[in-house]
Amino acid sequence: MIVLECNYSKKIGLPNYSSHQFSVSLKTELADITQVEQESARLYEVLQQSVDQNIQQVGYLPATNGNGHTKPVDDKWACSDKQRDLILKVITEAKLEKNQVEQLAQDRFGAGVKQLNKLQASGLIEELLAQTGQSKPRSQRFQKAGAR
Amino acid sequence: MNTVAPSSEAETLEQLKQTVSASRLSCWSKCRLQFYFRYVQKLQKPPTAALHLGGVVHLVLQAWNMARWKRQPFNVEVYRSVFDTGWKDQQTPIDWQGEEESQRNTAWNMLERYFIETPIKSNELPEAVEVPAEVDLSNHGLPVLRGVLDLVRAGSRIVDFKTSARTPNAEDAKHQNQIQLSSYSILYREATGKRESGRELHHLVKLKTPKIIITPVEPMTDREQTRLFKQMESYVNGIEGKDFVPSVGMHCLSCEFFNECRRWG
Repeated sequence: MIVLECNYSKKIGLPNYSSHQFSVSLKTELADITQVEQESARLYEVLQQSVDQNIQQVGYLPATNGNGHTKPVDDKWACSDKQRDLILKVITEAKLEKNQVEQLAQDRFGAGVKQLNKLQASGLIEELLAQTGQSKPRSQRFQKAGAR
Repeated sequence: MNTVAPSSEAETLEQLKQTVSASRLSCWSKCRLQFYFRYVQKLQKPPTAALHLGGVVHLVLQAWNMARWKRQPFNVEVYRSVFDTGWKDQQTPIDWQGEEESQRNTAWNMLERYFIETPIKSNELPEAVEVPAEVDLSNHGLPVLRGVLDLVRAGSRIVDFKTSARTPNAEDAKHQNQIQLSSYSILYREATGKRESGRELHHLVKLKTPKIIITPVEPMTDREQTRLFKQMESYVNGIEGKDFVPSVGMHCLSCEFFNECRRWG
């Protein structure tokens, strides 16, 4: 019996001199030594994807700028500025709970609101507008779109 | 027939130069005079029976895609209800030529057939459903491209739903829908930062016994992108030069501006 033990670890820098790291390990059994190369390549990809996906959630960070003043942390959004502003506007105007919107993003896209790419953010905006009764009826869109 | 003219023609032309969509570009490529009547003069025509049928079919497919996204179980009653409500929503009278009931039955039969034959598994979670997207192509000297993606399947497969009266041939369908498919690829790549793995045309064919034709299309090539950019360039130049000459052909028979076109010149 051949045991293949793999570990993938990544450490990244964060604002305010912080960093975080995450590693995933696994052990698997191989029937034949000829499988090692193929299996280790496959596992490397699986582990890397898993770490990369999870390490995007930075969690709590001390929000100081060195002078004892707090400032917003991790304000980088993956979507466009226009989309970010619209998401925040809908949340504010409709008095939505931010954690519920975060949960919706996680359920629908498997990522937090700030990590959504432009396509995902567009989907989230559509959903928020629908939930708050602001979306345009589909039939109107089709009529405007011309022949199908 | 109504004319909507809230802005001057010069303002409208300027706006049309700033943004473009696949449907607008397709219309431009088919006939510039049709484009002029539809988007510059904004002549309003009642929706055709085919347009209404297509719109309601899309509405039901959107509800079905959204339900999978929300991990809701398949329930045909829900879609029947969406269909009935959508069908009744005829804000402008449609000339059915006495065939509304048969058209309605055909539309529902197409959907039932699609639900049976679709290659999309009931538990497949979509990547996106009916999402608007846009990309600023000003660094290519082109307008902002806008569009709405019907569906992006898991694994980055862009899907566009079509209703048609005839059974499509795969190569013809790819060629005829090239503007739309390339536009969606560009929008998808810009919005996600990755290439689509493929594209699919899902045709629901309006026959007595409806047919479902799935046409897989490869990811957009560089040549296809260049082709689309050249078409967009021609669009911008044509609008600037007010080049709205008609392109006469078989498509005139189904054009809503047939009479206006006859009077043009």
